Amino acid sequence: MTATIGVRARPRAEDEPVDWIGYVFVAFFTLPFLLFNIAPIFFGAYVGFTKWGIFGKPKWIGLQNFTDAFKDEFVAIAFKNTILYGLVIVPCVVVIGFSFALYVHQRWPLSALARTLFFSPYVVSATVIGLVWVWMLDTQFGLINHYLGYLGIENIPWLTSANWSLIGVSIASVWWDLGLAFVLFLAALQDVPRDLHEAAEVDGASRWQRLWLVILPQLRPVISLVVTLQMISSLRIFSQVYVMTNGGPASSSSSVIFYMYLEAIFRQHFGYASAVATLLFLMIVVITIVHRLLIRER
Amino acid sequence: MATASTMGKINRRLRPYGLRVGTLPVWLIGILIAALWAMPFVWMISTSLKYPGDVMTADIEWLPHRVTFDNYVKIFGEYPVARWFFNSIFVAGVSTGLNILFGAMAGYALARLKFPGRDFLFFLFVASLMVPTEVTVVPLLLAIIKIGWWNTYQALICQPLTYVYSVYIFRQFFLSFPRDLEDAAKMDGASHFLIFWRIAFPLARAPMIAAIIIVFTFNWNNFLWPLLAVSDESMKTLPVGIAAFAPVIGTRTQLEGFALGMAGITILSVPTLLLFFFLQRYFIQGLSSGAVRG
Repeated sequence: MTATIGVRARPRAEDEPVDWIGYVFVAFFTLPFLLFNIAPIFFGAYVGFTKWGIFGKPKWIGLQNFTDAFKDEFVAIAFKNTILYGLVIVPCVVVIGFSFALYVHQRWPLSALARTLFFSPYVVSATVIGLVWVWMLDTQFGLINHYLGYLGIENIPWLTSANWSLIGVSIASVWWDLGLAFVLFLAALQDVPRDLHEAAEVDGASRWQRLWLVILPQLRPVISLVVTLQMISSLRIFSQVYVMTNGGPASSSSSVIFYMYLEAIFRQHFGYASAVATLLFLMIVVITIVHRLLIRER
Repeated sequence: MATASTMGKINRRLRPYGLRVGTLPVWLIGILIAALWAMPFVWMISTSLKYPGDVMTADIEWLPHRVTFDNYVKIFGEYPVARWFFNSIFVAGVSTGLNILFGAMAGYALARLKFPGRDFLFFLFVASLMVPTEVTVVPLLLAIIKIGWWNTYQALICQPLTYVYSVYIFRQFFLSFPRDLEDAAKMDGASHFLIFWRIAFPLARAPMIAAIIIVFTFNWNNFLWPLLAVSDESMKTLPVGIAAFAPVIGTRTQLEGFALGMAGITILSVPTLLLFFFLQRYFIQGLSSGAVRG
């Protein structure tokens, strides 16, 4: 967890000799890391300032990609949808993930099985998530509409209507993403000192009082960690969109990264695609900073 | 009506399980929800075993009344699924292996060796997690095209080599690893490399298993990069290839229904689900001790 990132290796005393071999040890990882991860970050920042197609030489056009992006209605839609994805998925993942963790933490019979089942969607590919949910959410023959029918609810066009597609993709995403939040909460619950529970029990606090007043305050760091991680991963949403709706109908479920993909692959506007990705990155940075500040103020 | 004494009796019966009459319904509802949570997988497998004509029906048939493996035979016969499977195993295997080996070496050096710039390097690794991979893929694609790696295994393998997770988890482990063994070996004049290879690395079993299954799973499921880095049917990885069964991507599912697609994603999900079921403890501990995602 982030808290442990701060653990430092033993500081180097002045008189201790330098282990030059250390550079060889780190080189094997660091070289590919610099080439395939760090360099593309800077290269991408540069590409964003160019007109870069598949043919011809790239041309430096300054801020034009960015000013174009601000005028592009599809960029606006993609950003709006991406934020909506975040607003729908993050609270669901946090609340449901926390409830599941609280449940498994009780160690009632079969809780190990429940833990396995709650976590399992996290380990499968976006293709699995996307396809199985396209089938589950099928308007006419899907399981979900079939059972909703018993409640008197008419068939909902989950993925084929512009009003519903974002919700449909979000349902699948919650099912997929929840596992990580769940295990992080579970690990944190197990770290809450036992004597805290016992002290509260002696004071005659009810189950709910204990949860609100004793346990939740202890979990604040992990809650904020989960919110940050899930926020970032929801803003990066792409593969579910690609498999389930291809951004449609009429861009109603498109996301920023999906739009970047379209621009790069279908229109070969590499410069423009990079600029859009850079804008998303800036948005993530701003949101992360604001989130940090909000936490600190409390 | 249950009297106080029978309630007491039931409570006594339930006590060994940590339950009471009041919590019994909560327990049952939880089990029910857990079962529901797995239903998409059950439905996926069930559909994959049906005849295409039995799939899109008004009645829900959880257990197929007649079972067939035709869908599996078909997707292997009519699509290069075997090839995609091989590509996925090969790419995920090689990049996971190299990532873990390099990550363990780096993690060891960052925890145990003293050299200028060490802490900055670790900071750089952790800070890079702030930048989503999605931001780097387009420029990386341009570079790959430039050097002629497009549609090659090198392209598929190079990007996932950079997962920082393994460095992080090995560093964590070696920070709390007892020094006595190394010191004894050092007395005998063993080099750092020998110490790492013969002593430290073999003893790092727990982080190694965690890193192997977690990094392998990320690699197996990697989607955006393989989607961009290759376009030849014969070079696709399994998730990208199978995605063609999505109704919005290929037309086959629209025409023939979901039976084939469900067979495809069953094949795709089995390896990582099995890894997870058998090595669950490592998976969950590994993730919660280093909440970092590829």
